[in-house]
Amino acid sequence: MATVPTILLQILATFIAGSGLAQASSSSGEEFSEELQIRPLRDGRVASTFSFRTFLHGATPRSPESLGSDDKSQHYHVFPLALGQILREYAVTELHLSMNAGKWNYDEWGYPGELGVATGAELWAWMGEGGIYTVDERWSGLRNALSGLFCASLASMDEQRTTSPLMTFVPEGDLPNWPGPHLLRHASLPSEHVCTENLTPFLKLLPCKSFSGIASLLNPHRLFDADWHGMSAHVLWHASQGVEVRLSFQLVSDPLRQSSSKRRDWSFRSLFDRSIDNRCPVASSSTIDVKLPAEEAYSLEPSPSSSDGGIGRYNLNVDGHLPSDIAMRWPSEFQYPLGSASVPLVPLALQRTLTGASQANGHLAVRVQNRLNEELRVVYLETMPWLVQFYAHTLSATVDGRKHAGLISNVSYFPPLHHSRPTTFQAILTLPPKSTVALSMDVSKAFLRYTDHQPDAQRGWDLPPAIFVPLRNGSDRIDGHSLGQRIYTPTLLVDLATPDFSMPYNVIIFTCTVMAFIFGSVFNLLTRKFVVVHLDDQHKE
Amino acid sequence: MPLREPSTIFFQSDNVRRTIIASYWIIIILALPLWWKTTSIERLSLPSSRVRNQASKALRLPVHIQLPGSYLDTTKRSQDQLAQTLSKQGVDVVFTGGHIEGSNPTYILKHATNGLVLSDRELEYDFSDESKLSTILSELLCPPQQGHVVAPYSPRFRLSFTLLNEDSTSGNYVRSWDVSRGIRQYITPLLDQLSLLHNFTIESQVQYHAPLAFKPRPTRLSSEDLSVFVNSAEWSLCDQPLEMPESFLLPQWGGIVVHDPPSLSVDDIFPIFARQLLSLLGVSPLPVGVKYTGDVPISRWQLEALLRRRTLENTHSSQDTLRSIVTLVDQIEGMPVGWNVKDDILDALDALDKVYASSSASLRETVKQSTDAIVLASRAFFNPDMLALLYFPAEHKYAVYAPLFASAVIPVIAAAVRELLAWRRQRRQQT
Repeated sequence: MATVPTILLQILATFIAGSGLAQASSSSGEEFSEELQIRPLRDGRVASTFSFRTFLHGATPRSPESLGSDDKSQHYHVFPLALGQILREYAVTELHLSMNAGKWNYDEWGYPGELGVATGAELWAWMGEGGIYTVDERWSGLRNALSGLFCASLASMDEQRTTSPLMTFVPEGDLPNWPGPHLLRHASLPSEHVCTENLTPFLKLLPCKSFSGIASLLNPHRLFDADWHGMSAHVLWHASQGVEVRLSFQLVSDPLRQSSSKRRDWSFRSLFDRSIDNRCPVASSSTIDVKLPAEEAYSLEPSPSSSDGGIGRYNLNVDGHLPSDIAMRWPSEFQYPLGSASVPLVPLALQRTLTGASQANGHLAVRVQNRLNEELRVVYLETMPWLVQFYAHTLSATVDGRKHAGLISNVSYFPPLHHSRPTTFQAILTLPPKSTVALSMDVSKAFLRYTDHQPDAQRGWDLPPAIFVPLRNGSDRIDGHSLGQRIYTPTLLVDLATPDFSMPYNVIIFTCTVMAFIFGSVFNLLTRKFVVVHLDDQHKE
Repeated sequence: MPLREPSTIFFQSDNVRRTIIASYWIIIILALPLWWKTTSIERLSLPSSRVRNQASKALRLPVHIQLPGSYLDTTKRSQDQLAQTLSKQGVDVVFTGGHIEGSNPTYILKHATNGLVLSDRELEYDFSDESKLSTILSELLCPPQQGHVVAPYSPRFRLSFTLLNEDSTSGNYVRSWDVSRGIRQYITPLLDQLSLLHNFTIESQVQYHAPLAFKPRPTRLSSEDLSVFVNSAEWSLCDQPLEMPESFLLPQWGGIVVHDPPSLSVDDIFPIFARQLLSLLGVSPLPVGVKYTGDVPISRWQLEALLRRRTLENTHSSQDTLRSIVTLVDQIEGMPVGWNVKDDILDALDALDKVYASSSASLRETVKQSTDAIVLASRAFFNPDMLALLYFPAEHKYAVYAPLFASAVIPVIAAAVRELLAWRRQRRQQT
């Protein structure tokens, strides 16, 4: 969008702590709360989920109809202004951004606290249509603005990666009742890697940054050392409550890796190398939930202020004594659970591979195992950049090795367009109880122009994960209330035909030589004058 | 099969061979314009002479001052002095005894003995003492420049009000402030008056952790402290007299008010912000000793002085920008110039022409045209399309063309020369 040059004038009022006490009345409809959930996992690791919620009570998303005119002033206390500017500039109703590193192990870790655990970056947004800018123009602006805000390469999620998979991504909040419809835009960038440069701007969006409260545990040295880590930002609108911004950070740490005695004991010190020394004064609630092991002996220090349903809860804002460090200890050494006796944590087991040695063709194989004793219907979504194209007619499905009809229904397929549109393949799979469904499809790999190749070192092309969403029991409705929790497969890597970039000039010279040779030969033949040379008889002698 | 005499085969005849060679040359010659068109960069011709002509002009803005008739002759010396001073700054002063018809209004001086009182376009002055007349008028009409403090012109400013708590965990912090009332009461009236020059977007936030990089002393901040206040060594700070609550300006960037609790009232803070904002936007304070009795915060004299200054600056810098574009395009041969650039330049030139045309008639119109001119000129200058082929050098092209064309064209040339020689020999033999 064309904008006039703008200069930012800052006016700052600074308060230096002095003698008197000044606590102005909390006037606004803004509310900030923070929460940390810690969950010991059965493979000895520990999952932590930080979530920071800010409510803007009574606020509504900006209507796209008002985009041409001046917006109302934004005055916030705890709501992040930098994010608010972006949301209003592009009239975004709902937004979900996640950036993760590593592969979430559903089999051992169960469902994550925040569902968006796709490797790399994933962004999806619901935006109303109408006004002077199209949804695609605003989606492009939104990507660029978020790139700037989070120091990530989200801007490269261009139209070649943007899809609109309506069956899989339903709004988590409410959509305002505007004259124009709301449209979904989704893009994923599996090669994006989350690191410190993304965490720093993330922390700046928090009212207490990482100075106090639960956020003071966010120590980049330990977060990015974890086996799996990821951050996400969510913006939703609840008709009854207003706009909610939820920023969260998840990590899976491995205490066994650092322990010399095969113990999975953990504490804030061992996980984050920090402790909570101060409360965040603007947080209306600040809680730490620790999931308590069900059938094992353990000790938790200090003891939680309340424990209910297998969860011990610490309330930082109420307790007289601030539990700066929490530690959980087990009396015995950790024995890795062997065998398949353990109860499945998620209903599906997924496997997805890209096979085929040639650089032109391949084969996509997906194995979905239904672990439940009942039939399960799942939404299956594949989004592929145009680099890999499906031969959709070769799609076949078998159940435990036998052909089976009626497994795949409600197929929607948007074939890719070179250099402009990715593939979107959505279908509903009906999985018989306790069985494995194998899907397979032939794919072709694109032959790229030399300018299509990335400038960085060649390691192949990352392909986004497939997504499976179980539908609730027997429900045929595909709206927000019948979808279960999303499950992502790991990403894939595809090797495309890659030229030797070191010798373009040699190639030019060689090609030109051949061309000139052919041209010269043809030209000579066309213009050559043949004459008969009579040799004298004397010469013969 | 018996061998045939080659000269009897139809394609071995001289005419056919010459036609073949000629057709190659015809195709090459016909293809040249196409090749030229597809490989050249779009470079529209810019109105260079018009730009140079425009850039050599200097804008002059007239100011009419009406004196009481009886003093028109007695103050001749002051009038000349003022005209001389203002002339250097691009302002022409005309003194009259009566009212002049025209849309560019007149400032009126009145004789009164109760000091310097300013209202609307009138100034009460004690003509018994002529000595200060030219200084006062010069400060009112063309206030001394505050140099680097004033933010460069922009059609839109984003005003960001931030309340910073040094450390809110100490239990001693301000959770929120009534920023809307402060802005409504102290800032909006100023912005309304300046709406001719700028549009404003206002926003505010509160920060609960903003540690200082130094330890402040109880009462005062020294100028050394100020230099590290914003944790950035790049901002040069101007030393201004500090007051309680302490406040200072960061030139072209913003202002800071340091407040010590116990109580925060926007009535303490926002008048200072308003003053800082005026300095940053270039509204000069009234000269010492001048009293202002109007009901709007910025007096007509100050506002119009600012409008004149911004007009002169904008006109000058858009002329400079246009000249730079022309020079740059002349210097860099590989730089494309598209229609959007050319249109912006032509529109900027038209706006500049209108600036000169309206300068003696209406100040407001002149301001509007000069802001249009600078916006258009900057947009042309920063047009991203002009960078497109800058880094694709001609040598690269030759390196690609030479291996193909040189080797292909040499046989064509050789055949043509050979055939030409043969044809001449044939003619000589015939004659």
